[in-house]
Amino acid sequence: MGERGTRFLREGMERPASRIDDVPEEKVIRSLIDSFPSTVTDFKKLGKGVVRARIARRDLYRCCKFLKDQLGFEHLSMISAVEYDKRFEIVYHISCYGSCLLLELITSTPKDDPSVDSVTSIWGGANWQERESYDLMGIKFNNHPKLERILLPKDTLYHPLRKDFKGGG
Amino acid sequence: MWINMGPQHPMTHGLWNLRIKVDGETIVDAEPEVGYLHRGIEKLCENRTYTQIIPIADRLCYGSSLTWSHLYCMTIEDLMGLEVPPRAEYIRVVSIEMQRIASHLMWLAAYAVDLGAMIGFIYTMRDREVFIDLLQALTGSRLTYNFPRIGGVAHDIPPNFERDSLRACDYMEKKLKEYEDLFDGSKVFMMRNQGVGVLRKEDAMNLGVTGPPLRASGVKYDLRKDMPYSVYPEMDFEPATHPDCDCYARYRVRMDEMYESCKIIRQAVQKMPKGKWRTVAPRNAPAGTGLGRVEDPRGEGMMYVVGDGTDRPYRLKIRSPIFVTVSAAKKMLVGYKVADVVAIMGGLDMCIGEADR
Amino acid sequence: MDLKSRPNNPSLGNVITFRSKDFVKWADGVLEGVLRRSPVGSGVDYLTKDFFNWATRNSIYPLHFGIMCCALEMAVASAPRFDAQRFGVIYRSTPRQCDVLLVNGPVSKKLKPALRRLYDQMPGPKWVIAMGECAISGGPFYNSYSVVPGVDQFIPVDIYIPGCPARPEALIDGFIKLQKMIKESKKGLLTGK
Repeated sequence: MGERGTRFLREGMERPASRIDDVPEEKVIRSLIDSFPSTVTDFKKLGKGVVRARIARRDLYRCCKFLKDQLGFEHLSMISAVEYDKRFEIVYHISCYGSCLLLELITSTPKDDPSVDSVTSIWGGANWQERESYDLMGIKFNNHPKLERILLPKDTLYHPLRKDFKGGG
Repeated sequence: MWINMGPQHPMTHGLWNLRIKVDGETIVDAEPEVGYLHRGIEKLCENRTYTQIIPIADRLCYGSSLTWSHLYCMTIEDLMGLEVPPRAEYIRVVSIEMQRIASHLMWLAAYAVDLGAMIGFIYTMRDREVFIDLLQALTGSRLTYNFPRIGGVAHDIPPNFERDSLRACDYMEKKLKEYEDLFDGSKVFMMRNQGVGVLRKEDAMNLGVTGPPLRASGVKYDLRKDMPYSVYPEMDFEPATHPDCDCYARYRVRMDEMYESCKIIRQAVQKMPKGKWRTVAPRNAPAGTGLGRVEDPRGEGMMYVVGDGTDRPYRLKIRSPIFVTVSAAKKMLVGYKVADVVAIMGGLDMCIGEADR
Repeated sequence: MDLKSRPNNPSLGNVITFRSKDFVKWADGVLEGVLRRSPVGSGVDYLTKDFFNWATRNSIYPLHFGIMCCALEMAVASAPRFDAQRFGVIYRSTPRQCDVLLVNGPVSKKLKPALRRLYDQMPGPKWVIAMGECAISGGPFYNSYSVVPGVDQFIPVDIYIPGCPARPEALIDGFIKLQKMIKESKKGLLTGK
């Protein structure tokens, strides 16, 4: 519902080896399942060349390093932060130039401890995007080189995109 | 010594502050500062209906506002699972490519006047008016158009639009040759651009730089060709790349993109089918997520929307290409002189409206 | 008289030389007494008032300051099609040389002190034009947490140009209205009347 062309890939599904390597999306899914069997879950193919996966936040840094070094995902497109009732979700959109793929990697944090590891040392383009998520939503990124406010004045006390901030809209 | 260039500075088009640390005339460190134009658009969008956000999406990047409103409509159509009629897709492509030419001409005007060639400003603004007139005939407005709708476009093309757009493309290709003579034949322009502001391929890919600066560093990646959307698979064009990674390469890539846009406009105008130009979209969007990606004249634009079943988005996240490209300023500026700042930062075509949201 | 037996009165200062501070005090005194308050001053003003006013209103120098979309229309207003330069409008890069501050976009809370400082740096006589809906009242972002709803909350505005974005013809019309305003408030430079 809402997504075109979805196809669920369940763990343990038997597929012939040659067909996996031919379809790049399934190759990515298979390597993620093999390398991070317990923390990567819930795969969904969202369309041609777009794959979604969920990951626990303790393995996020290792998974991103694996994606960049082994699977060749050189470009981090976007880091979004979404606030739900009981959790924050941080959505990473990572793309691969060589095989024209986009991976949507979602991790969640509990409401009272919104912090994840920073991926700035893997992709330099994450620097300002993480600062923006910190500024507007209040997510803390561990080991970020300079986690400061970027869009709002430096002495602002609130995080405007949180749902309990009533103002501005 | 740290110097502040901005927020009011004739070179910095748009409202941002570039702090450079200089040692004599050489730049040792650089730190851009944005946020002077922050309007809180992502929070505003949570309290507006889906149709009310279209004019706000226009004002994200006012240099190429059609691209952003189309990106927004594509994202919401992905969320709702709507099919856009083919005539609307072709009209969208024609308007986006005309907007791309107008945006690149605006960039060239500002770039030329910063490098001292006021004649570049005069000629390019005059020729930009040709496309602005066509877009005014199509949409009704000069700058922020409010033209696309969720499920199509607002209205059909006016009479004689095909004839006028083909004439405009012929005119533009003649003028582009004149601009090449004007700028490539100018020793000062070439000296100020060649070898200046080098951004190597690995750095460009790592730092998230997209669009013409990425293609000018030798990476052949254009979203219209590699992950195509709309009716771009049926268009025959080549993404423009250049192997040198300097300011001249970025200028060259944008000039070539204008040629390719003329080609695309011709093909789209000739292949346009007849039929409806809009399907009516439902008022409420289903719960779920939608993703839209588009090749903006400045890079890769993305939007991610989370719907919750009502007529307002729960969360709308906007990825701005300039926000990420500006953070790579330090890599491009260190080691050059203060006088090169104009050429390097001008070559990135900054439109701060989208960076600050 | 040797230096050791000088009177020990610090307010007299150095009695040998004529200091620049004393010269400035004398010049001010001459201007106040002779020119500003006397028939000489009003005579000079009567002779030159019309001429200086004509020169002022035909050489309006705005500041090179673009905020948002209306800034593109401001740039187009000096392009060949609309050509604001024939009205004497030349953009200057530093506020010290400008007459008019053209505010053409929404003012965020981060920009507010910088804009106020720009306004204070301009020498008088100065005017402010609020161009576009965002500068007049906040525009489409009027209820945002980070936009000041209207630039006239902290800067006195003389001319409002509506539009979103304001067309270049509207901007030129605004300049002509400013010229009319300057003509109506004709004042002599010396006496200020």
